[in-house]
Amino acid sequence: MGAPVAEESGLDFKDYYATLGVGKDATAEDVKKAFRKLARKYHPDVSKEANAEARMKEVNEAYTVLSDPEKRAAYDQLGRGYQPGQDFRPPPDWDAGFEFSGARGAGGEAADFSDFFAELFGRMGAQPGRRAQGARMHMRGEDHHAKVLVELEDVFRGASRQISLRVPKVDAQGRLSLEERTLNVQIPKGLCEGQIMRLAGQGAAGIGGGATGDLLLEVHFKPHPRFRVGGRDLYMTLPIAPWEAAMGAVIAVEPPDGSVLKVRIPAGAQSGQQLRVRGRGIPSQPPGDLLLEVKVVVPPAATPRARELYETMAREFDFDPRAGMKG
Amino acid sequence: MTEVIKVAVLEDAALTVDELACACSVSTEWVIRHVEEGALECRGESESTWRFSSRDLGRARRIRDLERHFDAAPELAALVADMLEELDALRARLRRAGLM
Repeated sequence: MGAPVAEESGLDFKDYYATLGVGKDATAEDVKKAFRKLARKYHPDVSKEANAEARMKEVNEAYTVLSDPEKRAAYDQLGRGYQPGQDFRPPPDWDAGFEFSGARGAGGEAADFSDFFAELFGRMGAQPGRRAQGARMHMRGEDHHAKVLVELEDVFRGASRQISLRVPKVDAQGRLSLEERTLNVQIPKGLCEGQIMRLAGQGAAGIGGGATGDLLLEVHFKPHPRFRVGGRDLYMTLPIAPWEAAMGAVIAVEPPDGSVLKVRIPAGAQSGQQLRVRGRGIPSQPPGDLLLEVKVVVPPAATPRARELYETMAREFDFDPRAGMKG
Repeated sequence: MTEVIKVAVLEDAALTVDELACACSVSTEWVIRHVEEGALECRGESESTWRFSSRDLGRARRIRDLERHFDAAPELAALVADMLEELDALRARLRRAGLM
């Protein structure tokens, strides 16, 4: 989110052939093959490549143009004489003589595409009288999607947060452009990872008087130094001293809501043991639990006195931690 | 920019068939076919009462992308989506254990 918006002065010319790694004479089959190879390489769920998500968007955009004979022909005509990265400004009415038949990629999906794409193909399907095929669902404006990162603390108290998005906008002439938009959003208390917040009427404008689409924001948490999240539950490592583990103790723990919980550690606690504090996880309906993972930390024998204490323990205890390993 | 927008959380107000189709830029027929074939799950008895959650929406978008990018058969796209969900669950376990 929040990608920079192109300067008024112009746009960089994008070489879609180079993005897919095919020649200008590539057949439709070559383009498809190259796209699939890259779609696998940069699949955001499995890719080990750096910037896989950003690369996937570029690959998607290039394929959207080169796999569509109309768009490809228009792009080829326009691209003659331009070098990649060169400052680019399409001539007025450059697309005269091309009849674009579909709106695919010009609506909600265009939010993922570059300003270059929006400048070239933004007009398609956006003009009255040039309605898209199969337009039943296009009457209503499309829903826009975005991922948002929220602080864990925010879902404990609820919070008002600013969110920046790049959204396609259709002007009076039916032209589509991408613009930066900042929204003040009320983060509700009790949100969980992966849940979707729906902002009614904040998506794309409807066509032919149709209703405006929604904005759907998928919630993810920013990494937290102390807590890990699993569904509604919170996980936290709780370091304790050997004597607290052996004899039991009451220890103060601070959940993300800022309160202080007194937790009783049972006598005989061991590293790896999990203590469940019911209802103190994410305050959803029903609330999650807070899970404390006990980690016994052994103090170093750094002074003569500490060493003496350890020696006394070694002498006095009849204890073999490896008793179970014998035989 | 002073107005604060209130949001609805999808778990409360789950999506209808039309809303899911709109949110995925697919036809309602696509959604119905995938539910009938078992690729998508939902709550409710008949099409008019079917409701989809945040999780279902994520799955539907994944399946849609797999079908579009690779011309995958719906069954294959659903199988890959199953595996990706399994991967998500395992990664979540690693994160909870502080190993990732």
